[in-house]
Amino acid sequence: MEAPPVTVMPITSGTINMMEYLLQGSVLDSALESLLHRLRGLCDNMEPETFTDHELVFLLKGQQGNPFILRARRSLSHPTAPWHLRYLGQPEVGDKSRHALVRNCVDVAASHSLPDFLNEMGFRMDHEFVTSGHIFRKGAMKVVVCNVSRVLVPGNTENTERMSLSHLVELSVLAPAGQDTVSEDMRSFAEQLKPLIHLEKIDPSKQRH
Amino acid sequence: MALFEGGPCLTADTNFDVLMVKLKSHFQNAKGHKVECRGSRYRYCDFLIKVGTVTMSSSARGISAEVEYCPCVVPGDCWNLMREFIQSFLGNNVPELPTVFAAKPEGLFAPADCVDTMTQYLELFNKLRKLQIPGSNVR
Repeated sequence: MEAPPVTVMPITSGTINMMEYLLQGSVLDSALESLLHRLRGLCDNMEPETFTDHELVFLLKGQQGNPFILRARRSLSHPTAPWHLRYLGQPEVGDKSRHALVRNCVDVAASHSLPDFLNEMGFRMDHEFVTSGHIFRKGAMKVVVCNVSRVLVPGNTENTERMSLSHLVELSVLAPAGQDTVSEDMRSFAEQLKPLIHLEKIDPSKQRH
Repeated sequence: MALFEGGPCLTADTNFDVLMVKLKSHFQNAKGHKVECRGSRYRYCDFLIKVGTVTMSSSARGISAEVEYCPCVVPGDCWNLMREFIQSFLGNNVPELPTVFAAKPEGLFAPADCVDTMTQYLELFNKLRKLQIPGSNVR
């Protein structure tokens, strides 16, 4: 009998390539309140949202130089929520005048067996940390103000230590590839936050150890 | 749903496929090992039946039939009823209680979890993989 056609990787066509546009900065704890106050005024009117997340960074070392990095994140304030797996590609080099860091982004929601599954695939956990802070939205833009804590004992999120006396601020937008107006909007928003905080484009390659 | 034989099982959304494509350069694509099962889904009162053709590298290897009895979550309690129902269309080829349920006598079948269903499909595919098709080597 004739076999029905076997589909060939249906996902290579039809999925939208999502890009993450990112600007980062930091603010000392002493200036945090003023920043939150300004963000409450500038951003969409909604209940202030706080979060506490635990993120694990997994690496897959291949034969080529660059290891494959996956970030697995879970909420400590909502333990039953699914895990969030994120892949971030290499930053797009191109237009030097583009104001934000642009990279390919794949987000996957996953069940609680994610760390075991990644280990079975060959990924190894490189480091983990806990972040907690506030999240604001303005249209498609998302502003996250958080402090980052080091996990002292692997797997134990109760015992953490603040990494610094400042908060990390990230302004990001998730948009389909090819939308160049996004970074303009981000830059003008970032202007409104000066001089409290200077949000700039960072170079992730300079941060690898 | 992603499953390692005898290992952890992951449930993820459709973007997981996109991620797998990105990982292509890190893993060897097991080209000869892709098994696919496609078919139709039927509903008969409280039963859900999925009948599919199992293909491996574009050649048909067999037919799969999945039967789910929706109202009951304890496999041991409804197995006899399911047997009778399966007998009505499969005749005497009725299988035994699947090993995934035999292993946990007090266990509940959780349809949302799908692990048990996926494990059974994996066992079926492995069985079909080992099966030699008579006459397949004849020119």
